[in-house]
Amino acid sequence: MEYKVEAHRIMSISLGKIYNSRVQRGGIKLHKNLLVSLVLRSARQVYLSDYYSGACLNAQSEREGNEWDITDSEREKFPPSTTECDRVESPEEPQLTEQPEASEKEREYRENDAEKSERVDCTSTSEQESNQNSSLDSVSTETTTESPSDTTVAERDSTPVVVNGESHQPPKTHVCSSNRKRSAEESESGDAPQKRTKVASSNTKEDEEEAEEMDTGNVSNLITIFGSSFSGLLSKDGTKPEAEAEESGQICCDQMLKNLNPWSTAIVAF
Amino acid sequence: MAGVGGGNDFQWCFSQVKGAIDEDVAEADIISTVEFNYSGELLATGDKGGRVVIFQREQESKNRPLSRGEYNVYSTFQSHEPEFDYLKSLEIEEKINKIRWLPQQNAAHFLLSTNDKTIKLWKISERDKRAEGYNLKDEDGRLRDPFRITSLRVPVLMPMDLMVEASPRRIFANAHTYHINSISVNSDYETYLSADDLRINLWHLEITDRSFNIVDIKPANMEELTEVITAAECHPHQCNVFVYSSSKGTIRLCDMRAAALCDRHSKFFEEPEDPSSRSFFSEIISSISDVKFSHSGRYMMTRDYLSVKVWDLNMENRPVETYQVHEYLRSKLCSLYENDCIFDKFECCWNGSDSAIMTGSYNNFFRMFDRNTRRDITLEASRESSKPRAMLKPRKVCTGGKRKKDEISVDSLDFNKKILHTAWHPKENVIAVAATNNLYIFQDKMN
Repeated sequence: MEYKVEAHRIMSISLGKIYNSRVQRGGIKLHKNLLVSLVLRSARQVYLSDYYSGACLNAQSEREGNEWDITDSEREKFPPSTTECDRVESPEEPQLTEQPEASEKEREYRENDAEKSERVDCTSTSEQESNQNSSLDSVSTETTTESPSDTTVAERDSTPVVVNGESHQPPKTHVCSSNRKRSAEESESGDAPQKRTKVASSNTKEDEEEAEEMDTGNVSNLITIFGSSFSGLLSKDGTKPEAEAEESGQICCDQMLKNLNPWSTAIVAF
Repeated sequence: MAGVGGGNDFQWCFSQVKGAIDEDVAEADIISTVEFNYSGELLATGDKGGRVVIFQREQESKNRPLSRGEYNVYSTFQSHEPEFDYLKSLEIEEKINKIRWLPQQNAAHFLLSTNDKTIKLWKISERDKRAEGYNLKDEDGRLRDPFRITSLRVPVLMPMDLMVEASPRRIFANAHTYHINSISVNSDYETYLSADDLRINLWHLEITDRSFNIVDIKPANMEELTEVITAAECHPHQCNVFVYSSSKGTIRLCDMRAAALCDRHSKFFEEPEDPSSRSFFSEIISSISDVKFSHSGRYMMTRDYLSVKVWDLNMENRPVETYQVHEYLRSKLCSLYENDCIFDKFECCWNGSDSAIMTGSYNNFFRMFDRNTRRDITLEASRESSKPRAMLKPRKVCTGGKRKKDEISVDSLDFNKKILHTAWHPKENVIAVAATNNLYIFQDKMN
């Protein structure tokens, strides 16, 4: 547990550094930001591996609904993010067992258990933190599209997560610890519909499903983006909106990417 | 503890300190590079304000044989100005990242100075004569009335007060997209290399409008970036060989005869990581901040955050010597990450005979290691011990347990006082240590 707190703190600090680097004199320092991104990745790996090695609690389904309500109101506050993240994490796993769903895309990436779980994790967090409008319509749409994930999720739960934690850590951390930045940047980005779970779905299972659906939709993008040390912090902003138009499932990724937009834009500008 | 630096009867003494005493340090005055020239007669410093100050050593006086020549200001000039990149809306800092002297070939001195984007070749020349008796103008420069000129005279050279002029002879610009971190003059004295985060260019000293790109590690997709170039240096004798270090703690030696683009290294130096010491910050502290060839060309030295390593160019799988600079900081890495100190780029240097190496630390401490005796010493650059020819007292950091008298505990170290830049005279035991905005010069005291 202490590791998690420490890892989370380091992630917050790292994101703060990345954010501040944008306004530093002399432009963004590639070397320093690369190192910070490596620390971010390491912290994220620890954070998630800790989670999957037994930090989950039992029977969180009823808790989840409440949490999501709470986090909505706290969304814009900086300090509570730690607890938010922690709370969010716990219910995920039981949800997975309850709501195994897999689309064809999920099957492709089945071998990467961690990724799936992390995506769920990240997605829910992102959703909570999202400041944009989303509708139950989109939720239900995704629910329908994603069907056969039962077996795969069950499999995933059984195996301890070898972390390819990169895929979701930045969004989660980002969401948890960079509210200021995000709100500023969301005002910039705002085009793509942002999924959010403000309305605590009466059916928590639905939330889970939509999270998974979004994740599966994001998988290919996330793998590309978070596949290696530096990649997790660069976005394909230009390509993202098009992809999202096709799949609402990519909203999570997009949201995270938009949060990192200014920096990545600067990097791309290099 | 005496003896580090070339002999058992050796003792470091304070010689001089340059710079303001004022506690309030202006950012522009912070020294960012220190370099002796090939003879050691000149010592150049660059600062964050883009200025270069050159000190010259006074001739040794027969009256005071024990006191080596002092360094006095020889020339000061503004090398780089702040610029603005309008395309990227970024300011380009005027901070001098590196100064490298060219070997002296005539009466004038030449040096290369660089900021993040532009390298300049400066000529520093003396003028101690002035022509007097011009026909067309008065002594004060005003044009004479042509009708008043009735006779012709030959101007005569008259002595004048020594004036040292610095003029930019070449400006090598627009070749680096990323921040330049190193320049290195080749042993052919015709070319030099400049390295930024992702590329290394080879220049000819006479040609400013183009350069050869000899290393390019930029990935096609920037998202796949995993390492950057942190330092580069030409071999001191073989003009076809150079090395560059990376943020992953590796060094690549390249031979320019092999290919025009040296993306494939000839030698790859890497020490396997100790898995037991892995932490969040393992990657940061393994990033190499400086690489320097020995004068002999047989060895090279690398500096990472906690240690200095000496490599034999003939052995790639591990260094031949490793010296811990401030191992007591290993448990403080998280705090050092928070206050950004973990990103400090310490430099290192060899003495003239390659028997000793020196590097800086915090609290204005700097460390020297004798490669033969394996002794090391920690000294401090401070105003308190700045009486002329005062012997420097070895310092010690208490790492735990009971703190002895004269020891300083790790928590009392001042991390704002960092010695990043040091230089060792190429022939003698004279060292220059940059402590924020002050330059300390220490010499040995011959017994």
